[in-house]
Amino acid sequence: MTLITVQGLRKSYGAREVLHGIDLTVDDGEIVGVLGPNGAGKTTTVECIGGLRTPDVGTIRVAGIDPAAKNPELRQILGMQLQQCHLPAKITPAEAIELFAAFYRNPRRTAELLELLGLTSQAHQRFEKLSGGQQQRLSIALALVGRPKVAILDELTTGLDPAARRDIWAYLQKLTDEGMTILLVTHSMEEASHLCDRVYIVDDGRIVATGSPAELATSGGRQTVTFVPSEPIDPADLLSLPGIASATVDHGQVTVGGDAAAPQTVLAELIARGITANHLRVTGPTLDDAYLRVTQEN
Amino acid sequence: MHATIALFRNELRLLLRNPAVVIWTILIPIAALVVMCLIPGAREPLPNFGGLSVIESYQPTLIVFAATMLALQMMPMFIGQYRELGFLRRLRTTPAHPRDLLAAILALILTISLVVGLVLLTFPLLFGVGVMGRLALQSLLLVLVATSFLAVGSMLAAVIANPRVAAGVGAALAAIMWFFAGMWFPRVLFPGWLATISDWTPGGAAASVLGAAAAGQPIAAQPLIALGLWTVGGFSIATRSFRWE
Repeated sequence: MTLITVQGLRKSYGAREVLHGIDLTVDDGEIVGVLGPNGAGKTTTVECIGGLRTPDVGTIRVAGIDPAAKNPELRQILGMQLQQCHLPAKITPAEAIELFAAFYRNPRRTAELLELLGLTSQAHQRFEKLSGGQQQRLSIALALVGRPKVAILDELTTGLDPAARRDIWAYLQKLTDEGMTILLVTHSMEEASHLCDRVYIVDDGRIVATGSPAELATSGGRQTVTFVPSEPIDPADLLSLPGIASATVDHGQVTVGGDAAAPQTVLAELIARGITANHLRVTGPTLDDAYLRVTQEN
Repeated sequence: MHATIALFRNELRLLLRNPAVVIWTILIPIAALVVMCLIPGAREPLPNFGGLSVIESYQPTLIVFAATMLALQMMPMFIGQYRELGFLRRLRTTPAHPRDLLAAILALILTISLVVGLVLLTFPLLFGVGVMGRLALQSLLLVLVATSFLAVGSMLAAVIANPRVAAGVGAALAAIMWFFAGMWFPRVLFPGWLATISDWTPGGAAASVLGAAAAGQPIAAQPLIALGLWTVGGFSIATRSFRWE
């Protein structure tokens, strides 16, 4: 079942059009990522979906509700984490979660959220005394306190340490297993690869690519082989091999890029010449590569 | 309604963590009154105060002081800060409307103004100052006075986006209100033209009706009309021009 539908979304700020027709869908139980450079229109898109901004043109439905229609039911089923939001300086995480819990019909327990987001020992510390990462985690807790069907999370783990990010990813994955749907705005390819079922890459107000992180990554198909040869080798020799697109030498380390068979081709050539490949490494195509390719092409 | 109650309780808790608010709006006016009550001479009726004691003639001024500190200085600052922090916007993403937060803040400021005002009205009775029988009318007028300052404060909160500027303008306005309420110079000694201006300001009108009620004199229509106009005018400008972001 499709939970979020966006069709032909356009939005201008003054004379400048920032969204030139965005189409996207999010199915029930999916984690969908919105990626893109700064100023691409990611936040505007999710703010339109969340009913914080009104589209100029286009249709948006969240569980059948038009977010611009000020239907109070939307707020019960949609949880949002905003990029820039500060709470009152003297409120504590426990108080903030309890306050927000009072707005919802069937809220999550405060103690559960504090524990899962690693805030139990800061439960009674004032907001102004929390670290950036702790404030961020509280912001996530507030987006989830109402047991939303859909959560929109903007810059989810920016400023969090790697361990905290892993914990939050695991928690969100557990919530989606229980039926929650997530629309995620992120800069982190690692986050998108780890968490998202599908991603949309947005650039300059348009969707420029979409698919699962693995599909997008392999669509470029480029494999990279790096090694330190036991004897010098001319990169031009490697470039003449079939399927090799690039070959460079830097401080004795050779880097060769090419198609899916490139690693095998390079190794066969080295063996034929009796050269040993030390520190051999093969890296497959990544979401990073795909991202850079589609945003630069655009 | 549930959301507004939760927000009210939260605002009360946060307010009590703010020492400036507690000291300036609750402790100082009450302490000033208690000190006056302890001075025997201040309890005696004086002919040049129209038969009122020093305490009774300063009571309206202290009520105006507390109400203006809360409504004109503190409230626009709180609301401006919430707007600046993005907290009003954050509330828009929940089932609570930011309107609920404004309602909670207005209710809280009004409640504190009324509680402090009632303490200021009733405490001197323990020392035999004031007339018990006039308390009902005084309390009713207190509600009107506190509401009109709330309206003026709401207007400031709506029109001035920057919380520091709003607090500064509010503080200046509050000081002008204290002047018109006779804090530095007795109102009875105002020249005619100044008295006329004063009676149309919320501070002067408030002092006028509260003073008349304390003295057992009839309440004139003019200051009541002035307070009513400030209330209606302030709230209507506030609702029309309020910016959420």
